[in-house]
Amino acid sequence: MSTPLLDVWEAAASSPYHPSIAKDSQFTLGAFLLLIALLLAGVFSLNRSILSLPVLGVPASLAFGFGAVYMICAVGVYV
Amino acid sequence: MRSLPLFSSCLAALSSFACAELNLSQPLLSKQVLPSTFKPPQVFKNVNLVRNTNLDKAYPRETINVIIENIDSKPQSEYYLPFESSLISRVGGLEVKDKKDAEKGSFKVEVVGLDEQSSTEFYLIHLPTPLAPKQQQTLSITYSVLSALAPVPAKIAQSGKQYLQYTFSAYTPSVYVTEKQKTKLKFPSGDVPDYTTLPADLNAESKADPQKQGSTFTYGPYNDVPAGAEQFASVRYEFTKPVIHATRLERDLEVSHWGGNLASEERYWLTNQGAELINQFSRVEWQKSQYMNPASSALKNLNLPLHPGTVDPYFTDDIGNVSTSHFRPGRKENLLELKPRYPVFGGWKYSFRVGWNADLSTYLRKLAKGDTYVLKVPFLEGPRMPEGIQYAKVHLRVILPEGATNVRYSTNVPLVDSTTSIHKTFMDTIGRTALELHAINLVDEFRERDLIVTYDYPWTAGYRKPIVITLGMFAVFAVTWVLGSIDTSIGKPKKV
Repeated sequence: MSTPLLDVWEAAASSPYHPSIAKDSQFTLGAFLLLIALLLAGVFSLNRSILSLPVLGVPASLAFGFGAVYMICAVGVYV
Repeated sequence: MRSLPLFSSCLAALSSFACAELNLSQPLLSKQVLPSTFKPPQVFKNVNLVRNTNLDKAYPRETINVIIENIDSKPQSEYYLPFESSLISRVGGLEVKDKKDAEKGSFKVEVVGLDEQSSTEFYLIHLPTPLAPKQQQTLSITYSVLSALAPVPAKIAQSGKQYLQYTFSAYTPSVYVTEKQKTKLKFPSGDVPDYTTLPADLNAESKADPQKQGSTFTYGPYNDVPAGAEQFASVRYEFTKPVIHATRLERDLEVSHWGGNLASEERYWLTNQGAELINQFSRVEWQKSQYMNPASSALKNLNLPLHPGTVDPYFTDDIGNVSTSHFRPGRKENLLELKPRYPVFGGWKYSFRVGWNADLSTYLRKLAKGDTYVLKVPFLEGPRMPEGIQYAKVHLRVILPEGATNVRYSTNVPLVDSTTSIHKTFMDTIGRTALELHAINLVDEFRERDLIVTYDYPWTAGYRKPIVITLGMFAVFAVTWVLGSIDTSIGKPKKV
């Protein structure tokens, strides 16, 4: 029996969804990004200035943001 | 006197439990209510009707094949199927197809009730094309009846045989004249100690009624049965298997784009509607008999066939992890074998939850243009048991990613309600979009039915989670810098 949404499903047969980072690499990438965040935060704590806020704070925040998402997925809480 | 309010609050709590228990059998179906004077118009007649009742499983499955003829002078498309009010709330999965053209799919059916005093309600079947005068059409009507089998005797010994009784009308209830009809009953075995014998003069061929052929009994044929006629009959047959009834099933499917994962969790509230134990449960007797693995009215294990690629299964109940389970990955299916903590005898209950993960790529596809995704998942995955399982209420929740909009769905499982809500959980800011579907009176035969959901999920919504965490972390850096820049030294400020 054919329904409109079943036709939509069949039409998209060639494009199954794959995440940009595979399940197996999530832990490695998450740990790597969190480590970078930790290192940059460490350097920032040694030299707190208005210049180091964007130079170190922004990449550290970005690394922590993406690293936290991948790490929480890697430990089984799929957000 | 302090005990009085305590007593009254206890009473109130108990009464709420009683109400909750009673509500389980209330039909949730929204229905059209007609005045009690309503009589279905006599525009059809049943030329030939054959009803097959299959009692192989722990619930009766009815298949009515009927040739209907329009006896009116105008084309007609509304066929009424009557049920008693107490029965209609337990009828599930009613589907009507054209017997000769099943590929066309199911016809539209709806419940029509009369006002409160009436004991009869109807399923109204809409024929897709009105039937012209004097034309005939063959309908195939299938449905299951839940909680319809009563154990007789109601109490048996621990290793005793169980017998179930089924009461029905030998004349298939109809609001139209039926020219010729018969009812066939298929039992799980030939052990049928009691059954109603109907007088031979009712039978069109004046034969003994019912006719027996192994494990199949036939009531009829009967000629020219008037509309609304009933002739009650009962059968009692051996069924030494558990009568598994899930009073409620909650099933959650959680889609994670970041994790590329589809997480499933099912929460069951099972009860065995079979015969109760006449004596105390004897663990020694149970353990001794297990070596022989005899047929038993107790529920000992449940087999859940999961799709290949399923990983990380878990099985917990109110106490915690249940270690008596096996997970057997295979090429065709991954079998999850569950063993409850105790054998579930008649009248006993067991509630538990199972869950597993799977790769999202099997279930989710992205459309070529736009940010639209299409998800195809099984509506029901539960255990596959030879005795079958009946589900009184099913609550399915498809939890989509945060920011998913324009949710549409399609399924051929009969539903009673559907809503879209917000589900808030880990790392959420605005909450995830959840599609909630409610169904009642389903049976395990609906396992293979699919649910297809489409939704829009712009890439900007996908980045909400890491960006929110990034901004939070940046705020920590900024606050650290601001607080670190405050001069808290005592004395005059230094001049630079």
